[in-house]
Amino acid sequence: MRRPAGPRRLGRAGAWALSAASHVVLALGAILMILPMLWMFSTSFKPPAEIPIWPPHLLPRAPTLENYTGIFQVAPFGRFFLNSAALSLVATISVAVTSLVAGAIFAKYTFPGRALLFMLVIATAIVPFESYMIPLYIQLIPINWINTYQGIVLPYLIMSFGIFLMRQHIASAIPTELLEAARVDGASEWWILFRVIAPLSSSALGAVGIFAFIQMWAAFIWPLLIANSQLLFNMEVGLTAFQFRFSSDYGKLMAGSVVSVLPMLVIFLILRRRIIESVALTGLKG
Amino acid sequence: MPAESLAVVKRGGVVWPSRRQWRLTGFCYVALVPILALFAYIRVFPIAWSLILSFYQWDLISLHKPFVGFANYVSLTHDANFLTALKNTTIYSLATVVVSTVISLPLAMFLSGTTRVGVFYQAIYFLPVITPMVPMAIAWKWIYDYNYGILNYALSFVGVKPIPWLTSSRIALWALIIMSVWKILGYNLILFLVGIRNIPLVYLEAADLDGATSWQRFRFVTLPLLKSILLYVLVTATINSYNVFTQVYVMTLGSQSAPGNAVRVLVYDIYQNAFSYFHMGYASAEAVILTMIVLVVTAFQFGFVRGEET
Amino acid sequence: MNSDGHSGAVDRRTFLKLAAGTGLATAGGLGFARTSFAASTVTLSLWTGYPELVPFYKGVAAGYAKTHPNVAVNVFSTSLREAETKLSAAVPTGTGPDIYDIGTNISVKFIDGGLLDPNPPDVVQYMKSGAWDSSVVEFFNIGGKYYGLPLQDGSRASMFYNKSLLKEAGIAAPPSTFPQVVEAARKLTKVDSTGKMTRSGLSLRLSGQGSGIAEKFRFVLEPAGGSLIGKTASGKYHNNYDNAAGRAALQFYVDAVQKYKIDDPKIPHDADAFVAGTTAMFFREAWVIGEIQQKNPTLDYGVVPIPRWTAAGPYKMLLQPWGIYVNGKSGNKSVSWDFLKFLTNAQNAVQLTSMTGWVSERRDVDWKPLLAKTPQFQVFVAPPKGIVFYVEPVMSAWDEIETKLADRLAEAYVDPSLNNNPTKVAATIHTMAAETDGILKTAGLYGTA
Repeated sequence: MRRPAGPRRLGRAGAWALSAASHVVLALGAILMILPMLWMFSTSFKPPAEIPIWPPHLLPRAPTLENYTGIFQVAPFGRFFLNSAALSLVATISVAVTSLVAGAIFAKYTFPGRALLFMLVIATAIVPFESYMIPLYIQLIPINWINTYQGIVLPYLIMSFGIFLMRQHIASAIPTELLEAARVDGASEWWILFRVIAPLSSSALGAVGIFAFIQMWAAFIWPLLIANSQLLFNMEVGLTAFQFRFSSDYGKLMAGSVVSVLPMLVIFLILRRRIIESVALTGLKG
Repeated sequence: MPAESLAVVKRGGVVWPSRRQWRLTGFCYVALVPILALFAYIRVFPIAWSLILSFYQWDLISLHKPFVGFANYVSLTHDANFLTALKNTTIYSLATVVVSTVISLPLAMFLSGTTRVGVFYQAIYFLPVITPMVPMAIAWKWIYDYNYGILNYALSFVGVKPIPWLTSSRIALWALIIMSVWKILGYNLILFLVGIRNIPLVYLEAADLDGATSWQRFRFVTLPLLKSILLYVLVTATINSYNVFTQVYVMTLGSQSAPGNAVRVLVYDIYQNAFSYFHMGYASAEAVILTMIVLVVTAFQFGFVRGEET
Repeated sequence: MNSDGHSGAVDRRTFLKLAAGTGLATAGGLGFARTSFAASTVTLSLWTGYPELVPFYKGVAAGYAKTHPNVAVNVFSTSLREAETKLSAAVPTGTGPDIYDIGTNISVKFIDGGLLDPNPPDVVQYMKSGAWDSSVVEFFNIGGKYYGLPLQDGSRASMFYNKSLLKEAGIAAPPSTFPQVVEAARKLTKVDSTGKMTRSGLSLRLSGQGSGIAEKFRFVLEPAGGSLIGKTASGKYHNNYDNAAGRAALQFYVDAVQKYKIDDPKIPHDADAFVAGTTAMFFREAWVIGEIQQKNPTLDYGVVPIPRWTAAGPYKMLLQPWGIYVNGKSGNKSVSWDFLKFLTNAQNAVQLTSMTGWVSERRDVDWKPLLAKTPQFQVFVAPPKGIVFYVEPVMSAWDEIETKLADRLAEAYVDPSLNNNPTKVAATIHTMAAETDGILKTAGLYGTA
């Protein structure tokens, strides 16, 4: 449904001017948004000679793939990529399941201490992870989870924000009567959870999954701490650890950055409608 | 039939939870307990431990770890690095949140008027949000380069002399702010868009019929109805910006990078105290203070925004 | 809904849990596979914060495997800042490697914490066999016991100068005193038509994270006659730069940036700049030679000692022996020590320097073949007679002292209120010195008698 074109007092010309101006601003803004990525992309194809020059070339005059082959020679970035993908997948599934279950229970069931527990879930999200990394690290020692994949993914298996989101969404979007009706029909709570609540909140679940994926993909300080072998590095750690000392080998750095950003871009391009809808939903229920 | 009446039954004159209630509560525990156990393990225990540590002089490797009460907290109030970090983080948070909100709200207004192109724009603006921070911080470091960076190149077209974005102690923080605004703008935009789209058409049409100007319509109809979205945006942006770390870590590496104190933020200071100087207890105290500050600021925002509601 | 209304849901939930669990278990299996596979051989883990040393370590490991085929060495590297982070978490908690190389600023903390064992007697004997200068050996003497083996020197910083640029500016010989350096740098600095510096005469360490700024500050402070910390007869420490030397050193930097303008924080610095020709002179360590060979092999450059303050004064050179240590919690200590003795022998010493550019601390090495190929190593491997070495005090507070001083210096260098203002310079030095003393006091090391 179209919004009203504008107060009638402006008249047709005025409304048109406003619309034109807004398009110009939007377009300019859009260019500024993608320019950094385009620049990153462009630099990654430049040979070393073309990088520290002034004025800078917008496009490489002698495009080359040497930066890309170079980073793969220097470090097993392919392996880093696979690690990132696997870890992100596991984290996403785990966050989705835990957020759904916990969110639904907080939303639709009463039990003693519910409010307090929910507060705890929210409150712990405010504390910066960097401040309790060491205690968590120490906790992992007796169970030998240092330098393991499970050690890396552990803190990312639950997302307070995900629980919060699902709770808000389920509380407002799913009428309790629906659940009651299912119960009357003899359904188990598990069935209700996965066959009634989950499908109805799939958009919110999608949003939670996306945030979880992004968070795990972008993780770097914890994986750095836990991984004692390069075989376990994810892309972000790989990039940081290979910022060669004092160096500004920007061609290779940009190539590495592109490889790290590309999967997110591809996923986004494919799922963009879904993703934006899901994010929009978080606003509605937030 | 309301659920509550099924919760209890009377049996033999005593009020019991009904079988149904047992089943429901039982399910809660079975389903929730494993999740809560994991949650306790990865969040509650480490945070609690960290809180306790803040009252000790707990150096990671020293054998002597005495209880010192509030000594760490008191030392922090004299600590020049902490105070610098506090100042920088506050400026950073304020600027990032305000600027990104002030830019994204009008943009959302514009976008709400377009239809077909709208989806395309949404995607473009949201792109920076999904990119991982480390590679983009590296890319921005290159963009900000004083000698060969494309930003200074673009500015030279409008006659602006090259700006030492990252190496100047006055400008470095603003370079960081600009980058962060770029990153979160799209997210705020989408949220505001949703809020705007949800304003019932009748209110806007009523305003038009009353002869309101664009600005009046915005000020007295749109804005008040965006309250809850605005609050949500402000709170999440504030919490995230107070916890900024990755960009600072990446941008302070190397010899052409930002001077340490210019971009010293709280989490970076905590990291340095813990990992470079090994003062874990001290760093924990700092983290506690950071959390307190964020809570206070958030509470203030709630009060401020909610308070304006009639 | 199935006929009984239950099994569907249970399947779904079980399936999800199984999937997640399997995923984790497989990942865990991958993680554990390494250790279980290594049951028959001894695998030593070695961590380094110097990725450029990795080829050297791997080469030595291969050489060692020839005589000890059952020993494998796993080399793990990250860049320095990350390596320090990882070690500081891993070593105290017992999850660290068998062997690691680290500066004494960190190792001294581990020694304090009982995480490093004193060297076994055979290793001590090896150290005192004459292969190393006694000042180097004593550097690893903490409280009467020896820890670690000297591997390479992290400094011996000297002055690199671009021969062709100096010739072009009509400078006959590289400067040998600080006043000469300033004079030469002023001739060598180039500025474009807008006033922007395009080439610095002398590239100084003006910015960046960590303690580097303070370390490079000492390159000027020491020749001027001061030092960061002085030790008293009773073994206590206090600042040693709140004096004429300290003021002169800070003045040098302030003048360099603001008065004579021979360097600028905005222009590229360091090895990259020297390789590219955007600076004519700078003070750095031997690894730059490797960079030049890789990135600009035709560069015509020379290396001389860092200038002395006046023609009468001595040349001074910073020695930073870097050690390689066996983790006190390692399960393979004797094998590790044996490997380290091999790693630090004379043949591998030559390998170290020629492969990586880092100078081995061993003095019983025949450097002639190396010098024939790369004469610029001369000053590093065989410093001239009469040069005075200085080392850093080995204490846990050192890192904090240098890092905090670095932050203050970076601000001071570009502070316009210090320009032509000796009083302010003196006051600034005084504030910095007070902070240094404060850190010493907290560490219980302060004393003036």
